[in-house]
Amino acid sequence: MQATLQAKDFKSDLKPIWCPGCGDFGVLSAIQRALAAIGRPPHEIAFVSGIGCSSRIPGYTTAYGFNTIHGRPLPIAQGIKLAKPELLVLAAGGDGDGFSIGGGHVAHVVRRNIDITYIVMDNQIYGLTKGQLSPTSPRGLKSVTSPYGSLEGPINPLLSVLAYGAGYVAQGTPADMAALAKLIEDGIRYPGFAFINVQSPCITYGSVDAQLKQQKAAMQDLRALGHDSSNKLGAYALAEEYGTKLYTGVFYRKPVAEPTMEGLAAERHAMLREKALPKSDILKLFAPA
Amino acid sequence: MRQDLVIGMAGAGGDGVIAAGEALIAAAAIDGYHARMTKSFGSQIRGGESSFRLRMSTAPVLSLGGALDVAVALNWDDFLRFGAELPVGGRTTVIYDSKTGVATSQIPLTGITPAEVVAVPIDQMARDLVGNDRAKNTVVLGLLSGWFGLPAAAILSGLKKRFAAKGEETVKRNEDAFNAGVKYAQEHPLAKGSTLAPVAKTTAKRLIADGNTMCGAAAIVAGCRFFGGYPITPSTEIMQFLTKELFKYGGTVLQAEDEIAGVGAAIGASFAGVKAMTATSGPGMSLKSEMLGLATIAELPLVCVNVQRGGPSTGIPTKSEQSDLFQAVFSAHGDVVRPVLAPVSVADIFGITIEAFNIAEAYQTPVIVLSDGDIGQRKETVDPFNVDAFPIVERDRPAPDELAAYTRFKLTESGVSPISEPGMAGGNYLASGIEHTQSGAPTAAGSVHAEMTAKRSRKLDPLKKRKDLFQEYGRAGAPLALVSWGSVAGIAQEALTLAEREGLRVKLLVPRLLYPVAEEIYRAFFKSVQGGLIVEQSYQGQLWRLLRMFVNVPDGVEPFARPSAVPISPEELVTRLKHIAVELQRGRMPEAAPVE
Ligand SMILES: Cc1ncc(C[n+]2csc(CCOP(=O)(O)OP(=O)(O)O)c2C)c(N)n1
Ligand code: SF4
Repeated sequence: MQATLQAKDFKSDLKPIWCPGCGDFGVLSAIQRALAAIGRPPHEIAFVSGIGCSSRIPGYTTAYGFNTIHGRPLPIAQGIKLAKPELLVLAAGGDGDGFSIGGGHVAHVVRRNIDITYIVMDNQIYGLTKGQLSPTSPRGLKSVTSPYGSLEGPINPLLSVLAYGAGYVAQGTPADMAALAKLIEDGIRYPGFAFINVQSPCITYGSVDAQLKQQKAAMQDLRALGHDSSNKLGAYALAEEYGTKLYTGVFYRKPVAEPTMEGLAAERHAMLREKALPKSDILKLFAPA
Repeated sequence: MRQDLVIGMAGAGGDGVIAAGEALIAAAAIDGYHARMTKSFGSQIRGGESSFRLRMSTAPVLSLGGALDVAVALNWDDFLRFGAELPVGGRTTVIYDSKTGVATSQIPLTGITPAEVVAVPIDQMARDLVGNDRAKNTVVLGLLSGWFGLPAAAILSGLKKRFAAKGEETVKRNEDAFNAGVKYAQEHPLAKGSTLAPVAKTTAKRLIADGNTMCGAAAIVAGCRFFGGYPITPSTEIMQFLTKELFKYGGTVLQAEDEIAGVGAAIGASFAGVKAMTATSGPGMSLKSEMLGLATIAELPLVCVNVQRGGPSTGIPTKSEQSDLFQAVFSAHGDVVRPVLAPVSVADIFGITIEAFNIAEAYQTPVIVLSDGDIGQRKETVDPFNVDAFPIVERDRPAPDELAAYTRFKLTESGVSPISEPGMAGGNYLASGIEHTQSGAPTAAGSVHAEMTAKRSRKLDPLKKRKDLFQEYGRAGAPLALVSWGSVAGIAQEALTLAEREGLRVKLLVPRLLYPVAEEIYRAFFKSVQGGLIVEQSYQGQLWRLLRMFVNVPDGVEPFARPSAVPISPEELVTRLKHIAVELQRGRMPEAAPVE
């Protein structure tokens, strides 16, 4: 039995550099709470991120952290999990990190169903580089790279991850931290790839209209709405409303989880182990016919 | 009797040209000859023309030689598509299928008159004896065996194995086709042919390997247990081999969605404490460069193999080149010193790959193995060696008592600091691509950045003293020098022998460590040197230029660099060396030859 862990056991000595009031503070607290509830000690956790304000997050926890490069936390997290499946692996980053530069990786981690929990802090803007358009910014948003309003519509992270076939798709907000912590915990417990989109507003460059106001006013709990999280078509319909309504909770949770790639790899190891030539004999592979 | 035979053969898809080459090299290995073989394919994906070029010798084979001794054309059009790969010269015996019906006078060999041109009813013999024109290759094997004394018993036993599954009847008919080829050769002796000298059979059978597979096997021996990659010619066989073998050893292979993800996953695995590798070719290397920078600053061991092809951009996938040296050394932003190693042969890539893992682990750094399409894909006979003799290095992990007050990026004198991994209680740290303090905390402090940059560079200094990563041949005090690396080094080695035979005083340096530049080793080598050549398969003479950044390369040492279109031959190196020697004797510096 592990000694009971508390959220503070996951709090590192580093002081966050986020702007006071940034939504990411709440995400951090929620993650710390969720990890305490899970009860794995910090040294058994690998927490990987990309680059952006949000991606600073692993350093503020006591887990093994890896603050990598822009857009690439998922490949690195997958390498960790495949190499050492016994670790608890978390990945996190911003909407730009995950759906713009790193967008190509999302489909593939889903398709491999590697047991990683991926948390995107979706502020619908580029925070770290000071207020450029993001792939989730609403059409018409004025930003430093769209001074007359953007010409492009947003990507829908919930819908795309659902469509890729993810087994766990949820959305939360730091405005309801306890619920967010629960979602993260649930995602970690889900035995496969889990995606949690967090509506985490940027109070410095973000759009107050598009996100801040809406967040408080239009927040609706999916369960309260009577949504059954095993209903995939229902999940699609609700996810369609990304950008107009702020639903929180689990959109979809596959009732029977599919095998993970690391699990299948372990089976393959067991199946082929006997066939390994001893190292000293490896040159036998090159014997002429 | 010859000591050495260079055979080239081409035909249409389905003619079994490659199978014939493989039968020959297998027979060579079994009978104790040394051999090397490259295959070439036409531009069609399936069913296109193909060719092989094989050199068999009683002595170790260092290059594929110059013009062919024997050219076999199952079809003229196909043969002529491989003009550069299968050069016909004045000593060549040309054998062609009389069915292709080209009169001798029409053989368009760009002004060269081959020594002998022989038409053989190859297609007809195959149809008569096997009832199938697919046995043309077997007939050719018989012809070659009969005319040039190639080991019939070994070829026959190979054929037997190959057709065993198809039943006795097929085996028998192919044997008949082979024997008919032998008989035809005996009844129609060549005017200019002569047979290959027999060799004493070796007790230990030679092996046959290609560089890519050797590289994969070495990775397993080095302890690699994770591979992440994306298919690209001419590197893909490394991934294919490992997908087949690595799971047996408890390792995992990820065919990633792109090169960035492939190297990223390998970096993740290394962070998790597992030895990891990625492999690719030029375009993939370009994509991987940001990740390589990450591995450098996060101080993570990683082996990255670049099997070079003709560039830039997508370039020529099937042509081997040595033009990614600058990329290997410099493709990173910021102050990066990253070890670059280059193998010189199929056998050598085994040791070089293990060494790459050892260096990566010892210094916690990405290491690039700069192979090339030639080494990667050619087949070569290899003398068996003791796999257990290669030392295997593990990263310096903190001892349990060190974990009490652990500092991941501790500034040490050597620059190397013990590295923990997830799972180790007390070793928890933040790895990052962001500059960090000794504990791993992100920082923008210039002074810390300066210290850390120095740490990361300094830790690789001992590499520059690694004389064992350099091979030196010829006379120590010679005034003329050759420097060559990678697959071209064998050609330079042959040139050295030729040059010495012609009375020139030459020595050769083959660096297998290309970066960091081992300044003292080059300085000592160049001490006696007044002129010479730095030989490589690129346009810019990249090694020549790189060395001049670090060492006073004597003025008379010029690049001999050419991209992959026409292979560099030992003879032309000797001609150029002679010219340099004459100029030096006249007391003048030679005019540098234009870099082509
Ligand atoms: C390859 C690369 N391109 C661009 C950048 C610059 N960059 C850093 S963070 C960022 C975007 C951040 O936005 P997001 O991912 O949404 O995270 P946030 O800061 O909003 O949390 C960009 C463009 C970079 N670091 N690397
Ligand atoms: S810029 Fe925005 S996202 Fe970044 S820390 Fe400040 S509030 Fe948060």
